[in-house]
Amino acid sequence: MTPMWRLTLRNALAHRSRLALTWLAVALGVAFVAGSLVLTDTSSHLLDAQFRTTSAGVDLTVRSAAAFNSAMGVEVQRDPLPADLTERVDAVPGVARVRAVAAGAGQLQVRGRTVAPNGPTLVGSWGEAPFTAYALRAGHAPRGADEVVLDAATARQQRIALGDRITVSATTSHTLRVVGLTGIGGQEGLANSAVVLVDLPTGQSLLGLGSRVSSIEVLAAEGVAVPGLSARLTAALGTQYAVTNSQDAAAASADAAKESIRYLRIVLLALAGAGLVVGAFLIANTFGIVLTQRARELALLRAAGATSRQVFGSVVGEALLVGLAGSAGGTLLGVGAARALRGLARSAGLALPDGPLTVTGSTLGIALAAGTVVTLLAALGPARRAARVAPVEAMRASEPAPSAPRRGRLTTGWVLLGLAAPLLVAAGWMRSIAGVGLGAALLLVALVVLGPVLAPRLARLVGRPVERLGVPGRLARESTVRNPRRTAATVTALALGLALISFVSVLGGSVKAISAAGTEAIRADLLVQSSGEEMLGGLSPEVVGRVDRLPDVAVVSRARFGHWLDQGATSALAAVDPVTLPEVADITMTAGSLSALGNDGIVLAASAATERGLQVGDTLAMTFPRDGEQLLRVAGVMADESAQALSSRYILSLDGYARHYSEDVDATVYVKLMGGVDQSRARAALKAAVADFPNAQVRDQAEAAAGRAAAIEQVIGLVTVLLGFAVLIALLGITNTLALSIVERTREIGLLRAVGMTRTQLRWMVRAEAVLVAAVAVVGGIVLGLGLAVATLAALAADNPVVVSIPVGQLLAIVAVAVLGGLAAGLLPARRAAQLDVLASIATQ
Amino acid sequence: MTTIPAITPIPAPEPTTPGRATTDHTAPGHAAPGHAAPGHAAPDPTGPIAARAVDVVKTYGRGEAAVRALDGASVDIQRGRFTAVMGPSGSGKSTLVHALAGLDSIDSGQILLGDTDLGALSERDRTLLRRERLGFVFQAFNLIPALTAEENLALPLTLAGTRPDPVWQAELVQMLGLGARLRHRPAELSGGQQQRVAVGRALIARPELVFADEPTGNLDSRAGAALLTFLRDATRSLDQTIVMVTHDPGAASYADRVVFLADGRIVDEQVDPTAESVLSHLARLDAQVGG
Repeated sequence: MTPMWRLTLRNALAHRSRLALTWLAVALGVAFVAGSLVLTDTSSHLLDAQFRTTSAGVDLTVRSAAAFNSAMGVEVQRDPLPADLTERVDAVPGVARVRAVAAGAGQLQVRGRTVAPNGPTLVGSWGEAPFTAYALRAGHAPRGADEVVLDAATARQQRIALGDRITVSATTSHTLRVVGLTGIGGQEGLANSAVVLVDLPTGQSLLGLGSRVSSIEVLAAEGVAVPGLSARLTAALGTQYAVTNSQDAAAASADAAKESIRYLRIVLLALAGAGLVVGAFLIANTFGIVLTQRARELALLRAAGATSRQVFGSVVGEALLVGLAGSAGGTLLGVGAARALRGLARSAGLALPDGPLTVTGSTLGIALAAGTVVTLLAALGPARRAARVAPVEAMRASEPAPSAPRRGRLTTGWVLLGLAAPLLVAAGWMRSIAGVGLGAALLLVALVVLGPVLAPRLARLVGRPVERLGVPGRLARESTVRNPRRTAATVTALALGLALISFVSVLGGSVKAISAAGTEAIRADLLVQSSGEEMLGGLSPEVVGRVDRLPDVAVVSRARFGHWLDQGATSALAAVDPVTLPEVADITMTAGSLSALGNDGIVLAASAATERGLQVGDTLAMTFPRDGEQLLRVAGVMADESAQALSSRYILSLDGYARHYSEDVDATVYVKLMGGVDQSRARAALKAAVADFPNAQVRDQAEAAAGRAAAIEQVIGLVTVLLGFAVLIALLGITNTLALSIVERTREIGLLRAVGMTRTQLRWMVRAEAVLVAAVAVVGGIVLGLGLAVATLAALAADNPVVVSIPVGQLLAIVAVAVLGGLAAGLLPARRAAQLDVLASIATQ
Repeated sequence: MTTIPAITPIPAPEPTTPGRATTDHTAPGHAAPGHAAPGHAAPDPTGPIAARAVDVVKTYGRGEAAVRALDGASVDIQRGRFTAVMGPSGSGKSTLVHALAGLDSIDSGQILLGDTDLGALSERDRTLLRRERLGFVFQAFNLIPALTAEENLALPLTLAGTRPDPVWQAELVQMLGLGARLRHRPAELSGGQQQRVAVGRALIARPELVFADEPTGNLDSRAGAALLTFLRDATRSLDQTIVMVTHDPGAASYADRVVFLADGRIVDEQVDPTAESVLSHLARLDAQVGG
């Protein structure tokens, strides 16, 4: 070990208490990164295993062909297969055995209560080994119309025993007796789902298949090559059927389920990145302060012959040690963080499977590298300044004054700011989201560069009221102004976190306002909506039938949703009944008409028509899962507010929908009551009529709006909580900076105490400084967050009027939490300052 | 060189009753030895007592490493007089003054400021006492860098939530010659000006007692002389009581009385000292300590 390295190591160890909070900041940031990776890896891994297990033992699967497998995380539903196809498959040479399968999603009710697993409830037909991985653990296989086998895990969780009755609903609803409990592979059940198995006819009835089946599973005869058999089957059955290797089919299913996890991973890693960036400010500040305090020691080293390169190296080495130690700690914490994140994500309504955590080598590598690299980068600036310490400073008696920001830096900052502000305004005006992104990035860089100038000025301004506290307040304000670079770093870190939170809250509030705006068009008295995620089983068509038969009901209209491919990108559409819809909603057409839809037409929202340059009579190419690419006639153009009310910019008729989709479920049923009917009585009747379809929720307009708002709020809540993490790190930064500057100000504190400042006054002085730093960050952060949110909303609004809804209550809550957080951040340094011995402090050199 | 008996010139009045809290203007055995005759009672200086240390013991550290900084030190500080405390390094002079000023706790004995027993006070009350009844001048770093000279001057009063009497402040500023510098920060003041602001701050609340710890240690001789002259004049014209710790016989010669410490006790004192008399006294003390 070279002497410089030995010195580096000694320094790191000697200053470990000063570096402790830095270590913690690195560790927290890395824990977030590692937790995100572990959680998403685990979820993917569990889903893979789940789909592999359920198709184990089968060689090939025959299904209807589809233009695409899945959209937005949901597998497309395929047409059922005709009953006689099983025999045709069985007759192909090389096929040893076949099994007709009925499978789909449903709901499960136990003792009148809906069982809601994280994922779908799988309804399937029972198969004997070797076709399935199901293995009975108790009872016997289901035989006949009232028998069901349940997975052992769900049975245990719901305390269901053999002989109990459960209600299973899909297209139809059946009450069945539990005759067996099954495991799946070696497990008690699936990580994410409840599994309900019945015999084939019951499955066909539940899923509304009639005599048809969902898919056919094939076992190849001994010695027959599976790829060859697959080709022969394809040739024998024709192109409307798809023959898939079962493992591929399982992988495709898993991929569909994993799509939402990929989004989650991106969001989580972005938020973890925010935490790391905030941590980087804290790290830079700590190194800056510690090195300033050690300036004389560094000068001595230089005087003794150390080159500035060696000094630089020693500081970077110290950063490396802290970075590695923090990353290692953070990676260990990451496993715990993964569990916490899973809980948080679930409480926000995300379906994530349960199971043991998966920690991969790449997770460890990424987490370690992220923490170490961030620490190193953050320490580069302080290290360069340390390397510039001149040897003569060893002889200097007084502390060097904090260096003022250099002119070049200021010019750069103002130029960037001068570019960023007009760019943001222009981008908002021109509806360019890319422009807003660039403007935001420029603005952030400008603010970081100008921080040392802006933060003290803002502190002087915001600190006015603090002066009322008398001398302690006055001194608190002065301390924040005294070291601009330090204050700027602390403020910027917190402001960044708060800006992101207020950005999300304004964005969320506005999205809520936008989504609520459309609902005014709906005039229906009551709505029946699917409670779960629409695509995990909507409302059975039975629901609309029963509602329609109620005497109090005047008009029933329903809406369905589907996905289509728009030049490769997944998009959504809605299907409505052109005849009944105008009776339950005020629809404004700007061209053409709804009634012109027919079964081959489409109505576009005005914004979509403009974007695509389409008019009534033109055609639009759309790719559907069932029948591939089709040309649709533009039958009309709808006002954007009306499209908003239907939650889609592309509208088909129900007849058209039936041509392109196999799905037979409704998303929403709009109900208009007879004149003079008591709404609460009608509502009770409706509820009773659909009671055995647990996902059918009867709501009035207000509840429907609240339901939509709640979904948005859940997501905003999750993001806010995770951003709160970055704010926590920033608050740690205040604690750290203050604690370190207390060390610097020991003599001053000793003097104040000697002259008569009480401990209470001293504590308030330090706390006031912390609160002031937080307050400056609050002002900066909220202004920044609001500005960016407005620019983003303007850019996203396209041709629609810009809707900005500022959630004042939430912003006030952010202010309160941040200021109280600042107060809390000041507690520890305040205590430390108050505990300083007066005499020892005065005597400090 | 005559050998000085190692006795305390100011015998502690009845050391067995340390709880005694009266201010005794004419304590029995109160001695004011002349230059050459320790133990010899003299009428001068007498007068009201501003502060008093009685049999004070203070130990730092524990066990083997324990150092007895004060070992039964007793001293009276007369009101309206300029008292210098001298002694070789390690003699306990700073500890004594810190104890008198309520900055440091003591192990046994008693510290009285007027009628107040410092030992009976809480930490907070001692802080308030410092703020209201005492003034301080340290060797260096006397001023808060973030505050102007004027704000530093008023600090003890503003900390207490009051304002200085404008007439008194103007008088002080005028006497200290700080008029033009009031709005400046400490960094913009010379060392002498900084110390004068510190003296002004010490006097602003008209404290019963001002403690100065090597106030001229960091000043050149001219600035030092001006400061010491001011301190002496303050005792004369303002009837201010001042206690100064110093190791400089020249500085001590400005005092009305010099108290010598060695090994944690008061071993001698001089009234109306000159630099030469102090120097010769110190030389004798050194010899005694060394012997």
